[in-house]
Amino acid sequence: MAIQSVKKFYFLDYLHILLDSISQYDKRIDVLTSFLVLKRRYSLGESKYKKLTVDTEDITDGRIRRYIYTFNQVISEALEYKLVKATNNLDSIHLTELGEKLLSKYKERGSVSFNEELFRFMEDKYGAFRYLVSKLYAANRTLPGLLFLPSYSPRQLGFERESIKTTNDFIGYSEALVEKLGNDIEKYVGQRRDLTNENQKLVMRLIKTDLLPSDYKKCFDPKKYNVITKRFRDFWMSYFLQKVYHYDFSMNSFDLWTYRGKQIGIIHATEFNPYFCGKIVYPLSVIMKSVESRDFDELYRYDDGYSFFIHKPRWSENQEQFVAAIWEAYVDLRRTYRSYFVNLMALREIVCLSTKISEKTFEDFMNRTYKLNLSGKLQIRISLEVDKLPEETGAMYLKREPVMIDNKYRNIIAIDATKGGRAEK
Amino acid sequence: MSKLLKKPQQLQRPETIGRFQKFGLSDNPFPSEPYVNQDSTDKRMNGGIYETEIHKKEFQQIMDCFLKQPQIEPNHLRLGYIIDTSYIGRGNGKSAFLVNLKQIIDDDYCLDISDGTNKCFAVYVSPEAGGRTKTFPGFVDILYQSIVKSGAIRSSLAALRLEAIRKLYPNIDQIIEHFSDEKLLSDLDSEEWFSQNNFDIKAISEEIYKNDFLQQLPDDFPLFRGRNSWIKPFITAKDFTEHYFNNLRKSSDRITFVFSHLVDYFLAAGFNGAYVLVDDFERIPDFQSERQRRDFALELRSCLFDGSCSNARLGFYNFLLVFHAGVPRLIGDAWAASGMEQRAPILPKISSKHVIRFEKLSKKQAILLLKKYLAEYRIEGVELDPLFPFTEDAVHRVGELSEYNAAKMLKMVNELLEKALDSEDAIVINSSFVDDNLDIFEDDSSRKQPIIKEGRAVDLENKAKGRKQ
Repeated sequence: MAIQSVKKFYFLDYLHILLDSISQYDKRIDVLTSFLVLKRRYSLGESKYKKLTVDTEDITDGRIRRYIYTFNQVISEALEYKLVKATNNLDSIHLTELGEKLLSKYKERGSVSFNEELFRFMEDKYGAFRYLVSKLYAANRTLPGLLFLPSYSPRQLGFERESIKTTNDFIGYSEALVEKLGNDIEKYVGQRRDLTNENQKLVMRLIKTDLLPSDYKKCFDPKKYNVITKRFRDFWMSYFLQKVYHYDFSMNSFDLWTYRGKQIGIIHATEFNPYFCGKIVYPLSVIMKSVESRDFDELYRYDDGYSFFIHKPRWSENQEQFVAAIWEAYVDLRRTYRSYFVNLMALREIVCLSTKISEKTFEDFMNRTYKLNLSGKLQIRISLEVDKLPEETGAMYLKREPVMIDNKYRNIIAIDATKGGRAEK
Repeated sequence: MSKLLKKPQQLQRPETIGRFQKFGLSDNPFPSEPYVNQDSTDKRMNGGIYETEIHKKEFQQIMDCFLKQPQIEPNHLRLGYIIDTSYIGRGNGKSAFLVNLKQIIDDDYCLDISDGTNKCFAVYVSPEAGGRTKTFPGFVDILYQSIVKSGAIRSSLAALRLEAIRKLYPNIDQIIEHFSDEKLLSDLDSEEWFSQNNFDIKAISEEIYKNDFLQQLPDDFPLFRGRNSWIKPFITAKDFTEHYFNNLRKSSDRITFVFSHLVDYFLAAGFNGAYVLVDDFERIPDFQSERQRRDFALELRSCLFDGSCSNARLGFYNFLLVFHAGVPRLIGDAWAASGMEQRAPILPKISSKHVIRFEKLSKKQAILLLKKYLAEYRIEGVELDPLFPFTEDAVHRVGELSEYNAAKMLKMVNELLEKALDSEDAIVINSSFVDDNLDIFEDDSSRKQPIIKEGRAVDLENKAKGRKQ
């Protein structure tokens, strides 16, 4: 189906730097060069997360091939939306009027408006977001819109890496995993399912592809440990998506669309909820004919009278609720982790979920809250610091967007209730 | 039968034992929230339980390089850094260490430690969390409040009065012979006591004013309040605070008051120095811009070393800034640009006297720490191993699990003890008991059960329909 054929790139910023490059050059090779320069300048793509290693200067052939592949994908998507036009062999590329308009929108009103405009083009062409969001609301009866894709590593189930050496050891893990997943399905979807057959199929497939030895007592190649655990993870995530929630998406397309939705601020997707192992996806938007609340903006109108509304709470009317949410989230985290300072990104996850706001809105509201705090206008006192908690010194928060408050990246937060304030209610 | 004689079917038995009596303890000796709160009356919380054997090395360095060095030597160290070697720097016992250091200094105003060379008091300063202390004047306000809290102003006033009384009324020594320091302090602060003993307040004040160190002070200095009026007010420490906050509006006036006038006043009262212990110093630079950091460093340098105030000339206040290992990197540039790096390098290439490295607990120290807490709550007359009910291997296991972080360890043993109370067969707490009960403090993935709160989150569809959440 059309949704599946979406171009393979995640970052909407790529479309922006493509348009920007084409506005300056028209030869394909010049556009490519400019695209790569801008990609590097704005640290787009995966490189934006790599905080722990230094980027090597030398670029391998493989990397170049990947860059060119991405570049071609971005161009073909821009062509689909009629933002650019090109000669047949793609040697020469120009912006269309639409493309120019979109680019000037970015310059005048920033990335949020740009992304929202892109949303309209994407929805015109694919209608994927409507499908995605409607499915999300249908997925879970008890917690509307919340999609759980559980994933438990051997360690999370109490199997230390040293103790997993043979096929038999992995089977032990897979049985524990299946039991856990079965419980999750019952809990979130309200169905009882026997996953033993699926599990056997998976193990047989791993043996067939020589990842696990067919002699159950034999040791597997320890270098393949990570590949094998990843196979388990991918298999069960896809299983949940397609067999439990009945999506027509492959896991890849699903990730791609949810990540795009996250950038626009209409969907939240995370693997870092402190209270859940695996991935959580939920909408920050609704599809209805009309809304009664002022906290929603209409992004798109469909032919059948329904509209796509994005949840965009106004600070002036939601500050009480936001501060209450950070206090509640903080108290919970402090209780769970038994530490006065807690991870700010973990707090963000809880607050985004409970108030259904995007990470961008969280950052904006947090900044405003922090300013109120500094001027002494809050019932609570907030301390934000840059250090990490001791258990977080490893590479564990790659791929998490950092939180910038008061022009500084912050990692941990502590909150105090002031005298006469709303201490633990 | 009268209800006065009727009895319930069951009655408490007199031999019922207290909850912790099972372990020979009167209460759980360990804090559940192990963060020092100086104002708490609970000794588990206020840093009152302190094992001096722990951090002895750090303490010795402070003794040798600061407390024992003659204050009148102009080149004595005026600024030192206590740097927590762990990056996170929370819960290693720094605050407890400082509170204790302050107490040791104040016990005999450092006279015992320095063999009579120095008479110094100590001030404990803790900048506000949350970045409200960004500028040097803001810091000086907190410093001033901490000086008041330390009681130095009150005891100086008492010292000045006592000396004057002794000159005017030679028989005073007989009256106060058996007074404790506490009683002396409160009597000398009480107008009533003066009139009871028929001491002439006016004459005593005039006697005080003759002190050499007071001659340079301006007329509005609180000690001189009402000097030329008809009715003599009785000055107390409160007058100082009122003067500071009501009369001194400009920040430069406040800085001069703290770093010049108060210094002269303390000198007049017989002190020749003070140790200012600034806890959690990182709370200041963490929130400052690069420029604010530089300005702060410049003013600190001026007040401590190179300015024209009394303190810069005499080196009265000795600052010990306490922070975690990430801070030198944070303020290194500001320190270099302001010239502080020449005065007291924060990034010294070789080990220096003024940099005190605050180490984590060792295995041995962890055991000492627990023994100290247990001893405080051991029921009198009960003969038990000082570590009971814990075994040494249990302490090692707890140490490993908490990376020998003092606060985490205390919290863990607090919970272990509670757990052991509930378990009928736990007679001692050994390492396998610790392992069996890992779930109570494991903050790892194993506790990451999906406990997403139902019903608390906003339901967007309902909200969009305008229904109340």
